[in-house]
Order: sequence, then C-alpha cells, then structure tokens
Amino acid sequence: MNFTFSEEQLLFQSNIADYLQKEVTPEAVRATWETDTGRDEARWQQMADLGLTAMLVPEAYGGLGLKEIDFILLAYECGRVALPEPLVSTAMVATPLLASVAQDHPQCAEVLQQIATGEALVAIGHTASDFVCDAHTADFLLLPQGDEIHLLPRNAVHYTAQPSVDPSRRLFTVDWQASPQTRLAGGKAGVKLLAATLNRGALGVAAQLLGLAQTMVDMTVQYTAERKQFGRAIGSNQALKHHMANCAVSIEFALPVLHRAAYTVTQQACLADYPVSHAKVSASQAALLAAKNGIQSHGAMGYTWECDLHIFMKRAWALDKSWGHNGFHKNRLHQWLLNPAALIGADKTFGLQQAS
Amino acid sequence: MKVLVAVKRVVDYNVKVRAKADGSDVDLNNVKMAINPFCEIAVEEAVRLKEAGVATEVVAVSIGDKSCQEQIRTALALGADRGIQVETEGSVEPLVVAKLLKGVVEKEQPQLVILGKQSIDGDNNQTGQMLGALTGMAQGTFASEVAVDGDKVNVTREIDGGLQTVGLNLPAIVTTDLRLNEPRYASLPNIMKAKKKPLDVFTPADLGVEVTSHLTTLKVEPPAERQAGIKVESVADLVDKLKNEAKVI
Repeated sequence: MNFTFSEEQLLFQSNIADYLQKEVTPEAVRATWETDTGRDEARWQQMADLGLTAMLVPEAYGGLGLKEIDFILLAYECGRVALPEPLVSTAMVATPLLASVAQDHPQCAEVLQQIATGEALVAIGHTASDFVCDAHTADFLLLPQGDEIHLLPRNAVHYTAQPSVDPSRRLFTVDWQASPQTRLAGGKAGVKLLAATLNRGALGVAAQLLGLAQTMVDMTVQYTAERKQFGRAIGSNQALKHHMANCAVSIEFALPVLHRAAYTVTQQACLADYPVSHAKVSASQAALLAAKNGIQSHGAMGYTWECDLHIFMKRAWALDKSWGHNGFHKNRLHQWLLNPAALIGADKTFGLQQAS
Repeated sequence: MKVLVAVKRVVDYNVKVRAKADGSDVDLNNVKMAINPFCEIAVEEAVRLKEAGVATEVVAVSIGDKSCQEQIRTALALGADRGIQVETEGSVEPLVVAKLLKGVVEKEQPQLVILGKQSIDGDNNQTGQMLGALTGMAQGTFASEVAVDGDKVNVTREIDGGLQTVGLNLPAIVTTDLRLNEPRYASLPNIMKAKKKPLDVFTPADLGVEVTSHLTTLKVEPPAERQAGIKVESVADLVDKLKNEAKVI
C-alpha cells in the first residue's frame, strides 16, 4: 500500500502552518500566560472561522465530516508552535466521542453544532489522566465514572486549579455528581468509547510531541549556527552536530509511526491500541531527546526563562505524561508484540485484517 | 464585472535563499514555495470586490510548469472562482509574462486586471506596466486603495513623498502595493471547495505567443558579508578613515 497525504491535506497543513507560525509566536504564547484564563478567545474564534474546530464534527451537525487522519497534520502543527488553546483535545478527542452518541442524546448534537462554530469548548477527563485540562474555560466537560461517560455544563462541576510545569497548561481536579440526565453511555458501550477516547488522546499528544521536537531542533540548529566560540560557530563541532542528527533521526522514524496510528484510528479503531502506543512512545522519545539535547547545545542559556526553548521543552515534558504514561504505552506495546496473532511486518503496516 | 488576477509561484518569503554552488541560479531544492505576497494581496482585493458585489467573477492565472497549479489552488481557496494555468518550462522573463497575460486578457475580456507590483524573487516591477503598454489599458500602479465607481476605478497610488489618486477608465490594470489590504487565511471549507473549481490549462501557442528569451543570467551570488566594525582612537582617526578608506568625504 502506498500511503501518502492528499494534495488537499498537504495544502491545508501548509495554510494552517502559515497561520499558526504568524499568530502563535513565542511572544504571543508568553502574552497569553499573563491573562487570567491563559487562553486567547479571539484566537479560538479565528481558528473556528478557519474551520479547525469543525473538522471532525459530522456534516449533519454543521461540521466538515473529516476524520482523524485529516486532523493529524494539524495536531503536529499545533505542537510546532506550542499552541496554548485546547484545539486538539476539543476537536480531535472530544468531538468524535460526542458524535458517536449524538443520535441518542440531542444535547450532544447541540454541543457539536456549537463546537463547529467555535461557541463551545469541551474539556475532557479520562481515567488515564489525574487532571482535567481547561476545566476553567470549558463550556462543557466530558467526564468518566467507572465505565460511564457523562456530559456536564461547567457550572455543574467544581474545579480546583493544580500547578503544572508548563505555564500554558491549565490543570484542574474536578468534583461533580453523576446523574441519569448527564449519562451518555455506560457498560460495554462506555468501555469501548473510553478506550477509543484514550487512543485519540494519545494520538493527538504524539502528534504534538513530534511538532515540539521539530521546533526544538530547529531552534537549536539556528542557535548553534549563530553562536560563535574560538572564531567559529559552535554547531560546526561534531559533538553538537551528532546531538542534533540523533534528534532528526528520532523524529524521522517516529513520523511514519504516527501517520500509521492515525490511519488505523480512522480506519479500524478496534485495532488501534498497538499503533497508538507505538506512536506515543516513539514521539515521547523523540521529544524528550530534542529537549535534552536542545538544553545541552544551548548551554546554560537553554534553561533560562528568557530563552524560548523552555516553552517547547516544558510542554514536551508535560505531554509525555498525559493520556497514558510511558510505562502504560510500553506495556500495551509488549502485550501486542507477544501476541501470536499480532499483525507485524512490512506487509501488515496498513493491514486491516481482523486479528484473530 | 470580471476580474483577472495574476499569481506567481515564488520561494516563500520566510526562506533564506542560497545561490547554487556553480552560481548559475538560486537553489530551489527542498525550498518551500508560496504565492508571491504581492499577488496574494491582489487576490484578496479581487475577492473583496466580489464580496462587495462589484465583481461577478474572479479568475486567477499563473504562468509556469505544473507545480504552479498549487498556487492557483491557493488562490481558489482564498476565493477566486476559476483558475487558468499557462504552461511554460523554465523561468520566463517579464516581457514574455506580459505577452502571455495579454493573450489571456484577450481570451477572458476582464474589466479589471490586478497584479502584484513585483515578485519577491526577481524584484523586476515590470509586468504590470508592460501589460498596460501591450494592451493599451489604463494602469494604476502601487495601489494602496482601489475603489470601483461605475465604469471607472479610482486608484490611490503610493508615490515618493505621499499618495496620488488617479481615475482610470475600465478596463484597467492595477498593481498592488503592500498596504492595500491584509490577505486572509484560506479556511478549510474553502480549501475543500477549491478542489472542485475549474482550472484550464493553455499553452503559449494557444495564446499565440512565442516564448523567447532576451535575458541571460550571468551569475547569482549572495550579498557580500558585512565586515566587523572597528573602534577608532580619535575623531581625527575617524575623519582620516572616512576620507581615505571609505572615501565618503
């Protein structure tokens, strides 16, 4: 199978990359930290006007009816600029969950329409994460309880802020009461939806981690090409070149893994555990290596607040732990590899046969 | 009113270009390409005229090999209705571009042709003016404001020391300056719609134009690197260096 992104998908990525690079600069991210909410409402509306929040909303609810594979390049670009707003979690993680239960729950259909126009922001909790991001600005929260999923308006949830290593992330513990009116799914259906949500969450995080890694490499290459010692750029020394080459290799090897995971989530979500965990582990390794080598290559400068590197580095540290820590995903990976029916091998990369 | 907009494929303005090792041209390998920023402003102006109900159709035209269809699609995503590619190979000099555009103008009969004042690769600033001369249409160059009024268009031009407003009879040619407008970003729904919009391909022969080159690039080299400055001991030393080394006084 020859997997490539379509011209349309690449054009969309290019346009959105231009928009994000111009609008979400490190200065803009720092300015957002100074606001009460840590979020820029005008930017959110701008992204909605560009159709970003509507991508995965079904056409019946005013969206574009696209899939995760269409969103993955955008999630990568969100990582490239360390976007503070929760676009990936609302548009790629929460929206498909709401869409899957919208027929039986009219309130979900309304929320989907509001997501498409940028009027609603949805925060999502999961058993894989201790905290809920953006509970303070969300209009609605999707929260799990056992095998059940509930949808609540923000005023029905009591939330308490928690510190984060990343100033852009706003984390909260939540206290709430489940009721039959808030319940969207439970039992086997709930378990299935929670599992699919976890995979989409980890997939979105993996894409952002690779975007962050690439930005850290770019910043470090630029710095080491400009910073001179003993009359020449420090980047001309092999010791630093090799650091960056290792990062570039990690990113290059992780990208196809990410694309395969997005493809599998889109085409056959029930087989997505292994590819998603593979993508999350690979992306985490690449991002953490880029952060570590970036700091080292910047010298003491890399660790300072003034140097923009920390915006991306701290986001990478934070995302590495979200939607399942490394141990959890490695464990899923090992379970799959030891399964005699595992679809492993080049000819199975995009294989959609049902594992026996 | 039909508006024709010319768009050119150039190296993205964020890219730091490098000369090829043999000095024959700029190295375009693995370089991000984009619509020339002035052409993007032209597309935006045409789309705004359409949104204001002044224009009825916006046609985007580009000249080059198949890769320039990418820029036409971008123009379509920004709001143009139809695309035209004039298929050529290699680089084409401004006079040939103007002749090819004249051919398209004769075919399409637009009331208004909007072009960027120059492309950021060649920086020639010639095509609009040459097209004006070839077609005999009125021209308003370096526009910072365009207002269509019946069968006339008032163009405010950015000139040395201020602004000049000229009234042109339609059909006319306008070339855009930087401050005319701020181009929008293409939204996803419009990118999806752009795929379904028609794109016609013509050859120079279809337009009755022979592509001949009158210019030869002798050498492309990067600008000389700036030398490090020095501190002088006294005003007398400074004057001496300005007089004898820099030879500016």
